[in-house]
Amino acid sequence: MSNPSPYQVPDGLFYTKEHEWARVTGGTAKVGITDYAAKTLNDIVYLTLPSTGKEVKQLSSFGTVESIKAVSELYAPLSGTVTSTNQELTNHPELINQSPYEAGWIIELKPSMLEEEKKTLLSPRQYEEFLKSLDAGHQN
Amino acid sequence: MTTTGKSRSTPLYEFHRTHGKMVEFAGYEMPIWYTSTMEEHMAVRNHAGIFDVSHMGRVDVTGPDAARFIENLFPTGIGKQPIGKSVYTLLLNESAGIVDDLIVLKVDEGKYLLVVNAASKEKDLRHMERIGSGLNFKIDDITEATTMIAVQGPSAVEALQPLTPLPLAEMKRFTHAFSTVKGIRAVVTRTGYTGEDGFEIIVHDAASGAIAVWEALLKGATPCALGSRDSLRLEAGLPLYGSDMDEATNPLEADLGWVISKDKKSYVGSQRLASLMQQGPARIRRGIIMDERIPRRDFKVTDKAGEEIGVVTSGTFSPVLKRGIAMGYVKTPSPQLGETVEVVVRDAPSNGKIAKLPFYDDSLYGWKRKPHQQ
Repeated sequence: MSNPSPYQVPDGLFYTKEHEWARVTGGTAKVGITDYAAKTLNDIVYLTLPSTGKEVKQLSSFGTVESIKAVSELYAPLSGTVTSTNQELTNHPELINQSPYEAGWIIELKPSMLEEEKKTLLSPRQYEEFLKSLDAGHQN
Repeated sequence: MTTTGKSRSTPLYEFHRTHGKMVEFAGYEMPIWYTSTMEEHMAVRNHAGIFDVSHMGRVDVTGPDAARFIENLFPTGIGKQPIGKSVYTLLLNESAGIVDDLIVLKVDEGKYLLVVNAASKEKDLRHMERIGSGLNFKIDDITEATTMIAVQGPSAVEALQPLTPLPLAEMKRFTHAFSTVKGIRAVVTRTGYTGEDGFEIIVHDAASGAIAVWEALLKGATPCALGSRDSLRLEAGLPLYGSDMDEATNPLEADLGWVISKDKKSYVGSQRLASLMQQGPARIRRGIIMDERIPRRDFKVTDKAGEEIGVVTSGTFSPVLKRGIAMGYVKTPSPQLGETVEVVVRDAPSNGKIAKLPFYDDSLYGWKRKPHQQ
C-alpha cells in the first residue's frame, strides 16, 4: 500500500521529530541525526559539539550541524551527561552524510531519565509515518 | 505574474526536476543541487560547470533615444565603449541607492541587451520606464523567449567550443558576440558570476533547442545549481543584490566605485554621488575569513575590543579554503587587510580577519590563474 521510504530508518533505534536517533545499549546512548536530516542538509561541513561532562536536557539544543548553506540545531533525544563526542567528525564531517547511523554518530551520553523519556520517543515505524506526513504534498 | 501562486519554470525544468533537489527561487522552481553543492562548486573550480540562469531578466533596449536614455540611466560610461562590449554596471535611484546590478551588452550604437537579476526585473522595468518617460525608445522583455546558460571554469572553452563556430579562446573577457550555439541563434558573452573564466549564452529558443544545448554541454561540464552558484560567487568576492546591497546601499559603500564614470557629470544619482564622494562612505563592504566557525547573514562584527563595527550580509563555508568566509559591512575607517575582527556566532565572538577579495589565491583559482597547474 505505502511506497518504501527513500530514507533509511533502521530498527532498534529511538527517533525524534527533530530527526535525531538514539541507540541505547546498556547504560549509554549513542546519538546522531537521521538519514532524512543528513540528506536534507546534504554537504555537512561543520559541527559545534558540547564538551564531555556537559549536562543535556531532552529536546534542548546541544550543538549545531552545518552545511554550506544552512545551520541546524542538534536536539538531545534524552537527558543525561555527555560522555564522548565523535572526534572523527572534526576532520570528516561528511561521515554523517556517508553513514548517519554508524560512523557518523555524534555524541554518546549517559541517560539520566531513560525509562520515562523513552516513552516520549518515536519507534522506527512511527518515525517513518512522521516522514511520510512531511513529504506528503512535496513534488519530489 | 504569479496570480495563481504557482511558481514559474525555465525551459530546462524537466532536467532539474529529474536530477535535482528543487526549491523556489525568485518565483521559479529551481534546483539547489544535483549531487552536492560541494561537488558542483569544485567541478567549476577544477574543470567546468553549467548553470541554468534563465530566470534572470533579459531585456532589449532600442530606438532613436536609446543611447541617450542608457547614458543617463547608468553611472558607467556606455557611449564611449566599443560595440561588442559587456559592461557590469548599477541601476541607481536619485539618492544613489542601488536598484539592481546588471550587465549591459552594447550590441550596437543605440541597441542594448540588459541582463538583470530575476527578483528585480519588474522593479527595474518600472524604474526604466519612469526615468525614460518622454524619450523615444522601446524596451522588449525577451526573458520568456530565450534560455540562458552559464558555462564556467578553467575548461569552459573546451566545454562550449564543440557547440559554436565562435573562436572562444580569442574572445576577450567582458565582450560578447552573436553567433549560433548548436545551430540556434545565440549571444555569447565572456562573463560570469563565479570568478572563473567562462561564458554566458543566451539562446533564442525556449523549448527543445534549449534542452539540446544543455544536453550537449553536459558532455563537457558538470550540471551545477543554485547552492554552488552562491558559494562560488561569495568565494570570488562578488556581491549578491538583495543580500550584499539594496536600495539603501550606495556604490561607494558597496566598494563598487570603480563602475562610476570619471568623465560623465550628469546621470541618475550623480548629484548625490558627488556629495557622497566628497564625504566618503560611512561604512564599507569587506571580506572576512574566519579561524573557526561559519559566519552567517546578520551576525554582528566586532573589533578586537568587542565594540560593534558592522554586520555580515553573506556568509558560507568556502570549499576551497575549508573555512568560513563572509562579506559584510564595517564602519569606516575600516580595519586593514589582515586585521583581526570578531564575528558573533550564537552569542560567542569568533575570530576572523579582514580578507582580500577574491578569497582564494588567484594564481591558483579564478580566471587569472596560472595555466595548467599540475
